[in-house]
Amino acid sequence: MASVAFNEVKKDFGKTKVLHGISLDISDGEFMVLVGPSGCGKSTLLRMLAGLEDITAGSIAIDGRVVNDVESKDRDIAMVFQSYALYPHMNVRDNMGFSLRLRNEKKTLIEERVRNAARILNLESYLERYPRELSGGQRQRVAMGRAIVRDPKVFLFDEPLSNLDAKLRVAMRSEIKALHQRLKTTTVYVTHDQVEAMTMADRIAVMNDGRIEQLGEPLELYDRPANLFVAQFIGSPAMNVFAGIFRNGSVEALGARWPSAGKASENQAVKYGIRPEHLALAADGIPAVVEVVEPMGAETECLVKVHDQPLVVTTHGRIAAGPGDRVFLRPDAGHSHLFDAATGQRL
Amino acid sequence: MKKFTREAVLVLIAIPVLLWTLLPIYHIFLFSISTKDSAFSGALWPKQPTLHNFEIIARQQHFYLHHFWVQIWNSLWIAVAVGVITLAVATCAAFAISRLKVRGGRAVMNLALFTYFIPAAFLAIPMYKAMGAYGLLNSRWSLVLAMVTLAAPYAIWVLKQASDKLPFELDEAARIDGATPLQLFRLVYLPLMTPSLVAIGTYALLLAWNEYLYGYLLLSHERTITLAVALGHFIAADDSPWELLMATGLVYALPPAAIYYAFRRYMVSGLTSGAVKA
Repeated sequence: MASVAFNEVKKDFGKTKVLHGISLDISDGEFMVLVGPSGCGKSTLLRMLAGLEDITAGSIAIDGRVVNDVESKDRDIAMVFQSYALYPHMNVRDNMGFSLRLRNEKKTLIEERVRNAARILNLESYLERYPRELSGGQRQRVAMGRAIVRDPKVFLFDEPLSNLDAKLRVAMRSEIKALHQRLKTTTVYVTHDQVEAMTMADRIAVMNDGRIEQLGEPLELYDRPANLFVAQFIGSPAMNVFAGIFRNGSVEALGARWPSAGKASENQAVKYGIRPEHLALAADGIPAVVEVVEPMGAETECLVKVHDQPLVVTTHGRIAAGPGDRVFLRPDAGHSHLFDAATGQRL
Repeated sequence: MKKFTREAVLVLIAIPVLLWTLLPIYHIFLFSISTKDSAFSGALWPKQPTLHNFEIIARQQHFYLHHFWVQIWNSLWIAVAVGVITLAVATCAAFAISRLKVRGGRAVMNLALFTYFIPAAFLAIPMYKAMGAYGLLNSRWSLVLAMVTLAAPYAIWVLKQASDKLPFELDEAARIDGATPLQLFRLVYLPLMTPSLVAIGTYALLLAWNEYLYGYLLLSHERTITLAVALGHFIAADDSPWELLMATGLVYALPPAAIYYAFRRYMVSGLTSGAVKA
């Protein structure tokens, strides 16, 4: 177990600047998720920590030791790849024991560690099988087993669930989380899926365009997004955001007054944000027209239009309105968000 | 119906092609089981088929066959050596260029491709001069080195293409698992490349086994020449023993056929792998 510290880490590929100085401290035993759209540099950052990419500038330290010039194998890390990267010509047992075999560990110790990992991951009956004889979820578990037997200081996961179907993804999500709670190994987990990030992380670093937009606990990010990017990236369905003018403590937009908890200067151009579940359908309020109703059982997602601006409303239970019906929206002022229209920063 | 027509057309093309291929082989076979007198009789099957020709070969009982066993041993020795050395050179080159991404890899690949434009015959005289300078003329090694030179570019090219198809994450996983480049080569790369390696090894081996021109140039003593060159001597005389030439030719053709048959599974997948960008 160990802490990880990124200090002003930069990465250029030729003339393309991929990371513009990332600083991030991950504490011992923490589950840190790096999340962001593809191309934001999250995988590159992880690969730099793994020693698979050179560091252009800055430093990376594991447990206080700067590892910029330390070989991957000497960093005491284990990585789970999106493609699993299992050795096709080795069975599960050899795949998991490979790293220990390279270290010339005793056969009995390798066997013991592999058995132990297989037990944790429910792979005991598959030890003699080859990767091609396993399902996607089993392969993913073998990849994790390969990491576990190492007993590394840090686990690295690079979009490990992307190749799995939706149901399996949810199951593996809990498995990884449970594994972390059991082993308490510092974990850095990269994903583009904000649901994965929200459900698994102790803390999330939301990345965009080679920078960290916001760092914080999942609900902190959800409740108080630091800027428009985080506001729209975290949460599903995404936050409703539209432009307006701040006047007299509320926002004038789409021909209506939207109550706001945040404060801005009088007549300032702002972006008003409100999450779908904080818009209620009521008997009176801001008039809207229903476009689409998506009942999902426990809740109903409803796409409405206010002055041609599409908004999503999520309500618990079911609603009687159908497409074309007029409804009234009542925003929950306490859960509204205000952003500077020019900078996108939270007000 | 459309499918039927298409298959009918394919069959109609295949029959002449098959005959075209098989007739010479049948011809060789016919000669090799005929006596000298009946060889040119024009019959589809000899009146008295005989294995006598093969007996003469095995016992080296003819002027042209006095060194048969030595010559076939030369052929074998050279072919195996060429196969092994080409494989060693090309595998290391492909691994270094494709997996370790060494500097200048592209240049090597371009040069390898460039050598396709130079006909082997074009290099024969320079090669003869070079082997003379090394004092290797009339030694098996001269032919081995010459053939490795000719086979290596294609071998490197194909193996590099095949290597590129292995997922790079495997290398990264192995690196994180603690593998040195040599361990990566031995424990991950070689096992996964086996089909391509078998195909390329066989290619080089057969190329050397079938070689005539360079063998003829670089080897001249009766006890150093390969069987291919020795076969050429048969037709130097006015009254060539055709039945023995054909019988020897048949014997000469058997090892490649056996090798090809044994490794046919790898040949198809191996030689086409890297041929196209999948």
